[in-house]
Amino acid sequence: MGLNRRDFFKYMAVAGATVAGSERSAHAWQSRAPSDPYGCLVDLTRCIGCRKCEEACNRVNALPAPDRSFEDLTLLDKKRRPDERAYTVVNRYVSGEIDKRDQLVPTFVKLQCMHCQDPACVSACIAVALTKKENGAVHYDVTKCIGCRYCMVACPFEIPAYEYHDPITPRVMKCTFCYERVESEKKLPGCAEICPVEAITFGRRKDLIKVARQRIKKNPGRYIDHVYGEKEVGGTSWMYLSGVPFEKLGLNALPEKPMPQLAETIQHSLFSYLWSPIVLFGMLGGVMWASKDKSDRAGNGGRSGNGKEGDYKGRML
Amino acid sequence: MTRTGPGVILTITAALAGILFSTPALAANPSPAETAAPEKVVWTAPDQEEAEKRAEEVVPFVEAVMDECRLCRQQRLRDVGLSVKDQSESYFLLNSPIIRKTEDHYGPVRFMHAKHAGVTKDCALCHHYRPLDETASETTRCSACHQEPFNKDHPERLGLKAAYHQQCMGCHQEMDKGPIDCAGCHRKNVPDHKDLIQLAANPEPFEVTSECLRCHKPAGEDMLKSAHWLWKGPSPYTLHHRKEVELGKATIATNNF
Repeated sequence: MGLNRRDFFKYMAVAGATVAGSERSAHAWQSRAPSDPYGCLVDLTRCIGCRKCEEACNRVNALPAPDRSFEDLTLLDKKRRPDERAYTVVNRYVSGEIDKRDQLVPTFVKLQCMHCQDPACVSACIAVALTKKENGAVHYDVTKCIGCRYCMVACPFEIPAYEYHDPITPRVMKCTFCYERVESEKKLPGCAEICPVEAITFGRRKDLIKVARQRIKKNPGRYIDHVYGEKEVGGTSWMYLSGVPFEKLGLNALPEKPMPQLAETIQHSLFSYLWSPIVLFGMLGGVMWASKDKSDRAGNGGRSGNGKEGDYKGRML
Repeated sequence: MTRTGPGVILTITAALAGILFSTPALAANPSPAETAAPEKVVWTAPDQEEAEKRAEEVVPFVEAVMDECRLCRQQRLRDVGLSVKDQSESYFLLNSPIIRKTEDHYGPVRFMHAKHAGVTKDCALCHHYRPLDETASETTRCSACHQEPFNKDHPERLGLKAAYHQQCMGCHQEMDKGPIDCAGCHRKNVPDHKDLIQLAANPEPFEVTSECLRCHKPAGEDMLKSAHWLWKGPSPYTLHHRKEVELGKATIATNNF
């Protein structure tokens, strides 16, 4: 190889110095979560799967009419995801538990944007179209969106959907947490207002955690001792209580670290003081210098094999 | 019945008279402006009016309740001497303005209080707590404690709508008795179809059917599986009385969309 002992030590010294420098300059990642956001607590032991939340969501957000009526509960036979025409959907899961009448006990799970405290979509958005508001909502501003759909890739809950059917003015579609209704009109989110059994409790997030803990404490047989969303991905504004393990309900186990923490730490430490481009181009320069040196040497004492290959390539071209 | 006096007979005659007089009027003048007059004679039960009035009342909110277990509660009711017999009304109309503030998709439930009490024979099943205030009634109404949802000062107190639904449906499910679907208790408030129907001035019959099917597609599909659609058989009134033509909506009859 063209790298001699002296060069090797030179490069190592440069690399070592830059790494040491980067560690000093990289400041610790800080959460930008709102201090006292609103939230919703979904109690899956209460949900009766009536799909009224879907209906209210459709009406409140003026979404397109569904193919099948909201009263059609046969839709629950199939697992669905929130999409560009429905911000929220209810799925039915059966754990295999059977009640007194030999009927499978269903658990209904409402899905929507979780409105993370430190949202990955906001971190991934390069146009600042997505922002985390003080009231807890992860807000989408269509006028800023450039349609890169990074948010869809970033979301750990796979929530944002895209209007692929609209080639001119497509939007990213996801639950708005009824931002305008809650912030300006001082109303409840559409789904929380219509829910007939208060499966959705609306309130301040910190109060909801207390409520959730109290419900578990008061009725330990009914609930599993876990508030989904309290710590997942650094906490979410929407949280769940359940009597069935969350992994069986399509609510996957997620790390407690906020999603943007790792990505932003890497990115910020890479670009602090622009050390990484400097190192990169320095390295490239070094490689150029070294390879030039090598080709010179190769040219001087040329081996027959290289020449033959070159001839062959030339013929082909 | 305890009373079959002249009062009852009078109301029945009044009702009959109402029906007799209102029907021809309705048939003659179907426009809403004209039917306003016979509406006066539409008879309603006197207890219905009372129930409606009662449903409109909003009682003061009970801040604190006596925290006691189910058995203590049952014992207390027994000690006080309250039982199923101590009921003033046979039914209630669950039509509180607290709920109607946000909800108008379904009509109010007519809750048969006496019947439910008679079947369960346990007041504490629904009257699960009493106000902490000693002077208050032992069995207060649901809406005394359950009012607006998500009360900040009482985070665990259910709103009135949720309290009704959880109590009714939970018990129906547990006892395997009574409806647990929406229409089992509520009449649906059907939206005014005047605004929903999009038809030209003089539509063809097929256009009308397709307009209905625009929203009621499953109803149309169900119709295709019903006897109304599937009937067919030999007709005695066909060409040369040969009885060989299969008649039926789905085959060659008219009016088969």
